[in-house]
Amino acid sequence: MSKPAKKLSDTALVSEIKHGDAEAMEEIVRRFSNKVYNLAFHLTRDASAAEEIMQEVFLTVLSKIHTLTNEAYFATWLYRVTTNASYGFLRKEKKYSDQTLIDDTNSEHTAVYDWSTLPDDILLSEESSTVLRRAIDTLPDTMRTVVIMKDVEGLRNEDIAQTLGLTVPAVKSRLHRGRLVLRETLSDYFRKYSDPSGEGE
Amino acid sequence: MNCRICSKLLQEYLEDSISEELISELNEHLKECRSCEIFFRTYSLTVRLSQRIEPPCCVSSDKIERLTSLLNERLFPK
Repeated sequence: MSKPAKKLSDTALVSEIKHGDAEAMEEIVRRFSNKVYNLAFHLTRDASAAEEIMQEVFLTVLSKIHTLTNEAYFATWLYRVTTNASYGFLRKEKKYSDQTLIDDTNSEHTAVYDWSTLPDDILLSEESSTVLRRAIDTLPDTMRTVVIMKDVEGLRNEDIAQTLGLTVPAVKSRLHRGRLVLRETLSDYFRKYSDPSGEGE
Repeated sequence: MNCRICSKLLQEYLEDSISEELISELNEHLKECRSCEIFFRTYSLTVRLSQRIEPPCCVSSDKIERLTSLLNERLFPK
């Protein structure tokens, strides 16, 4: 390898790994281990499972790296392996549910209490963050995965679609329904700060 | 623009994927419709609060070292 691994693009690193470069592999692990761990943790809600999954993911990915024909898709492929391993764990633990049907027919324009005007110390409090995290945790798995990938981990819709084998409109639909549920939960939580005279309603 | 179209456009608006013309129409509607305005604000804020959720942790350098050693042993055996 002519350039130091730290200066190579992800694509170039993957190409070097295919040629048996251990330094390139270490750099890939350094760059992606947090992302893999965080996604696995968010999906499984289990720290030790996330660690095991991270190890399993890198073993799987690196032992099958020769099957990756386009190096540019490495990150998407990595997220797919991570998601599958996390679902595998949840299935084993019987925690996986594919229920995506949440009745959101009335959720778009209900709860008209405007909590967006609350002060930052309430909106950004540890308590509200916990409420939101718990609400994400209780979303159906297929919806939760999309919300985590998009809003928490910041992936692009196209990458999420490819990772999960969905169409982009399907990703957007799950994301929107998930966000509606979270908005409802936050509306319920923040309602306690509404003006008792009802002027905030 | 009506409320139904407005709520459908919201997601595209947050993705920055609607035309300037539609954005003006959306803004016009939001000025007139209190219910949509609140929906828009609370939906957008829900997304922003989700984006602020801290990652669970950083993988320690010890763990990364152990993992790379394991990978080296398995994948590039001497």
